[in-house]
Amino acid sequence: MNQEDSKPCDPTAGIVSRREFFKLGGAAIVALSLPAFLRKAGLSDTVYAQQVEYPRQLIGRLSQIGTEPIAFNYPWEHPNAANFLLMLEEPAGGGVGPDQSVVAFNAFCTHQGGPLTGQFHTGIGVAGPCPLHWTTFDLTRFGMVISGHATQGLPQIILETQGDEIYATGVRGLVFGYFDNRVDPTA
Amino acid sequence: MSEKYIPQDNVPLPPANAKVHTTACDYCIVGCGYKVYTWPVGESGGPSENQNALGSAFPGNMLGTWISPNQHNVVSVDGQPHHVVVLPDFQSQVVNKVGNHSIRGGTLALKCYNPDTPTRDRLLHPQIRVNGRLEQVDWDTALEVMAAVSKHVLEKYGEAAWAMKTYSYEFFENTYAITKLAFSSIVTPAFAVHDKPSMGSDTGGVSDAGVITFSASYQDWADADVLFISGTDPFETKTIVFTSWIMGGPKLIMVLPRRTAGVAYAEKNGGLFLQVIPGTDNLLHLAISRIILENGWEDREFIDKWVASNWEIEMGMGRGTRNTPWQWRTTWGQFGTDFEGYKEWLLSHEPATLENAARVTGVPAEKIMQAAEMITGAGGERPKASFGFEKGNYWSNNYSNTASYAAMGFLCGAGNRPGRVISRLGGHQRGWMGAASYPRDKSPEKLPGRRKVEMDLDRWVANGNARFVWAIGTTWTAAMAASQELERSFRALTVENPHQIRSIDKDSVIQTLIDRVDSGGMVVVNSDIYPVEPINTEFADIVLPAAAWGEHDATRCNGERRLRLYSKFYDAPGEARPDWWAISRFAQKMGFEGYDWEEDNDVFEEAARFSRGGVLDYFVLVWHAKQLGMKGHELLRTLGTQGIQTPIRWVDGEMVGTQRLHDSTLELGSPEGPTVHSKWLTHFKSHSGKALMLKSPWELFSDFYERVTPDPAKGEFWVTTGRINEIWQSAFDDIRKPYILNRWPETWVEIHPQDAAPLGIESGDMVRMWSDDILVQTGGRVRVKGYSFTDLVAAGSIQTGRGEAIAVAIVSDDVRPGLLFTNFLHPSSPANSLVHRVPDPVSNVHRYKLGKAQIEKIGESPFKTAFEEMTFKPRTVSG
Repeated sequence: MNQEDSKPCDPTAGIVSRREFFKLGGAAIVALSLPAFLRKAGLSDTVYAQQVEYPRQLIGRLSQIGTEPIAFNYPWEHPNAANFLLMLEEPAGGGVGPDQSVVAFNAFCTHQGGPLTGQFHTGIGVAGPCPLHWTTFDLTRFGMVISGHATQGLPQIILETQGDEIYATGVRGLVFGYFDNRVDPTA
Repeated sequence: MSEKYIPQDNVPLPPANAKVHTTACDYCIVGCGYKVYTWPVGESGGPSENQNALGSAFPGNMLGTWISPNQHNVVSVDGQPHHVVVLPDFQSQVVNKVGNHSIRGGTLALKCYNPDTPTRDRLLHPQIRVNGRLEQVDWDTALEVMAAVSKHVLEKYGEAAWAMKTYSYEFFENTYAITKLAFSSIVTPAFAVHDKPSMGSDTGGVSDAGVITFSASYQDWADADVLFISGTDPFETKTIVFTSWIMGGPKLIMVLPRRTAGVAYAEKNGGLFLQVIPGTDNLLHLAISRIILENGWEDREFIDKWVASNWEIEMGMGRGTRNTPWQWRTTWGQFGTDFEGYKEWLLSHEPATLENAARVTGVPAEKIMQAAEMITGAGGERPKASFGFEKGNYWSNNYSNTASYAAMGFLCGAGNRPGRVISRLGGHQRGWMGAASYPRDKSPEKLPGRRKVEMDLDRWVANGNARFVWAIGTTWTAAMAASQELERSFRALTVENPHQIRSIDKDSVIQTLIDRVDSGGMVVVNSDIYPVEPINTEFADIVLPAAAWGEHDATRCNGERRLRLYSKFYDAPGEARPDWWAISRFAQKMGFEGYDWEEDNDVFEEAARFSRGGVLDYFVLVWHAKQLGMKGHELLRTLGTQGIQTPIRWVDGEMVGTQRLHDSTLELGSPEGPTVHSKWLTHFKSHSGKALMLKSPWELFSDFYERVTPDPAKGEFWVTTGRINEIWQSAFDDIRKPYILNRWPETWVEIHPQDAAPLGIESGDMVRMWSDDILVQTGGRVRVKGYSFTDLVAAGSIQTGRGEAIAVAIVSDDVRPGLLFTNFLHPSSPANSLVHRVPDPVSNVHRYKLGKAQIEKIGESPFKTAFEEMTFKPRTVSG
C-alpha cells in the first residue's frame, strides 16, 4: 500500500457521526486501512483512531522485516513508548505491506504495564500472555483483548508505507503510564 | 444502544482538590477496593505528584498508578457536570493488592449514567403500561395502584398469591427492606431469588455437611499446597482471587468441561485438568474418595477428631420435628452417616469404581488416580489441600455433587484450618440481609413424610397461582430454566389477558388490574435500572426506576465476608430511588408499620440487629458507632476499601474481624460487649460442631441423567453454559460499555472442530441451537410417593417444551467433543431456554449446566471477516 491509499477519509462518514467528531474536540480521525478483499466483500473496512499532531517517523523498511520483531520508540524517546514492528502470517487490521500483515504495537500491557517483550507470537497473531496476570491481545484485530484484564486494547502504532519505507504516523489508544500520548514525557 | 468504540489517546487527570470516595466493585464476589475521584468539568490536574489527586507522577511505571481512558466518564454531581475517574485502590493491602483489577471492575466508570453514552436508556421515572406503551407517572400513583391491587389480592386470594422475585445481593439496605416486607409484613411463601426457583439451599450437600459456604479467606487459597477447583475457572469469573492470591501459590486441579485460560495456567504450572462430562462430578468425587479409602490415604487424625459419629448425628444432636431439610437429610441414615458407615457404603457402591467413573465422567482413570495422589500426598507427606467450588459443580446434580465434594474434602483433612478449607469461590457478592425467615410452613410443597420444602415459584406462577408479582432487579424468565416456556406462561397471564389498561386514570388502572386478577391473570411490577427484556419491555404493568451503585450509600460483603461502604458519588438519574425506598413507601401505603426510613443509614442500622449471631454480623460496628456518636455508615466509611471481615467481634476495646469460619486455630476468650460467639466460629456448623459425611448414591440422579443425555444419533449436543472474563452477569452494563461491546458484540458458542466440520460451521458463523425436547416439571404440590425423576414421570408431572438460541460460533478444541459451551445469560441469546426445568428433587435448585440442543449454521456474522469487532483467537495461549 502506498501513501495515497491511506489518505484520511471523511471523518463524518461511516461509523463516526459528525456530533461524535466534534465531541472529540476537533481531533482528526484517520482510517486504518483494511485488506482490499474485505472491501470487495462489502464489509466494514475502516476503523478510526484519534490522531492529533503525531510525528511522522521512519521506523523500518519492508525489505528488512523478517520473523523477528524490530524494536523502535514512538512517539517519544521514552521507555513506555517502546514498540515492536512485526510481520504476521496473516492480514491484519491496520496492516501494511504486500499482504497487509505488517503491524506495530506498544510493548507494555495496558492492564498494569507488564512487559510483553518476547510474547509477540507472530505465527498466531497473539501477544501475551502478559507475565503479570496473563492478559492476551489479538494483533490482527487492533490489539483487542482476547482474554484478560486490560481496560484498553494494546496501543497500535498507525503505519504508512512509502515505497519500501515504513512510517509511524500515530498511536491508536493511550500508552500505559501516559495521560496524553501527545505530551512529551521527556520535556 | 450500540455505539462504536473509539480508543482515546488521552485522559483527564483529577486535580489535587478532587473529591475522593471509597467504594468496592459492583460486580463479582471478589469485591475489589476502588477509589472514585470527582471534579467539576472545566478543571484538570497535572502530571506532577502535587498537581493531581492521585499523588502520582505521570508517566507511571509498571504496577504504578495509571488511568486508562475507559476509567473516566462525565456524571452529574449535585446537578453539575463532573469528571469521574474510578480506579482500583493502589494503596490496598487487602483483596486487590497493588491496584490489581479485572476488566470488569476496571471499566466501572463506564457504567455510570451519562446520557451521552449508551447508558442513556436508564429508567428515569415510574411508568404504567397504557395501551401497550409504558407511560410516565409519578411515584405516588404507581405505589397507590400497587397497594390497591395488593390489598385485593391478599384479601381475596391470600398471601401466597402475592409473589416476589428479587436479587439476593444488591446491598443489605435493599434486601433487608425486601425481606421485611415479604417475610415479616406480608408473610408470603411465594418468593425466590434471582438464580433459583425456590428459597432452598444453593449447596445443600456442603451445608448439611456442616460447612458454611463462604468460610474461607482469600489468604487460605494462597496458603494451600494444592487446590481442587470444581466447576469454575476463577481466572474468568473471580479474577483477582486468581491473579492476586492463587497464581504463584498452590498447584491446581481444575474440573471443567472446557479448557480455559486458568486451566492453561494450571497445566503450565504443574497442575491437572480433569475435563469432565457435565453432570458427572458426583462419580468423579466418589471415585477419588474410593481410591483414598482403598489406599488408606485418608487423614485419620482429622477424621477421628472432627467427623461426627452416628451417636453425634442421631442421639440428641439432629433430632427435632424433622420437618426442616437439614434435619431430615442428615438423620435417618438416608444420607448422613459416620466415617465407617461412609467407607462401607462407598466401597460397595458399584457406580463409584474407578473403571465406571472413568467411563461416565470421561476423565481418564490415570488422571483420577493422579488427583487422589495430589490431594493426599499418597501416603507421603500430606499437603495442605483446599477445595473451592462453584456452579459447574452445584448447578447439575446439586445435592449429590456438593455432598460428595465435602466428603472428599474431609477425607483430606480440609475444612477447619488455615490453607485447608472447603468453600465456595463465589459468584456475586454477599448482599443478603434477611429481616425474617422464609415462611416454610406456608409452602405448599412437601416431600414424603414431614418434609416441607420451599416452593418452586416458577411452577407456582405457571400454574396460575400468583396474582401479583414484583420482580426486583432480575430478568426472571431469562434467568430460569426452560426460559421460553416460562415466558409463554407469563405472556398468557399478562399481555394475553383481556384486561389491559386503556386509560392512565388511576381508578381505571386499579379496576382493570383487579379485573385481570379476578379473571385468573397476573399483575407484574418490575423494579430495575434498565428496560430488561421481556419482563420490563413486555410483561410489566408497572415499572419502578431504581438507583444503583454509586448513586446511594450502601453496604455488603465480599467472598471473604469483608464489609465495606459503597459510597454515593453522583446523582441518581431522574426520579430513580433505591429499592429500599420504593419498598418503604409501598409498605406505608399498605398500612404496615416500621418503614419510616429516611436515609440509607436508617435501614443499615435497623438491619444490624438482624445480622447478629450470623455470618455477616456487623452489630458490633453499629453499636460502636453509637458509642462514638456516629452513624453506622460513617464509621464504616472510615474503614475505606479495607473494611472489616464479618462476623465483627469486640475484643479488648476494639472491633476485630474474623478471617475464617470453622477456624480450629482461633482462640476465643469470653464474648465482650455485644459479641456473639457462635459455635461455627471454631467448629463445623452442625449440632455437634463436627463434620458430617453424607452418602450420595448415583441412583438418585441416574434416571434423570439418562433421560437428558444428548443422543448423538439425533444430532444432539450437551449445551452447558458459563461466564466469560470480559462480561459480568447478564451483560446489563457491558452491552452499554462500547469498549466491552467491541470485544463481545454478540453472544457466542464454542464447538469442537470435529463436531463443527461435518456441519460446515466455522468461527464467525451464525448458528442456531434448538431443542423440542426440553423437560418441564408441572403439576401437584404434595408428593406422597417418592421424589425421583421416575416417580415424577409416573405421576404425569413431566411435559416437554422447546427452546432456541442464536449465537456466533467459535470453533475451538478447548471444549469437549459433543459439547456446546455458551454464555449463561446473554440478553440476545436465551441459552436457558435449552435447559430442563426439573429442579434437583432434594434442594429445588436448577440444573442449568445440563441443557441440550441440535445446532446448524444459519449464516455468517460480520465479525467472521471484518477486523473491527470480536476476536476468534484462542483464549488459552500460555506463551
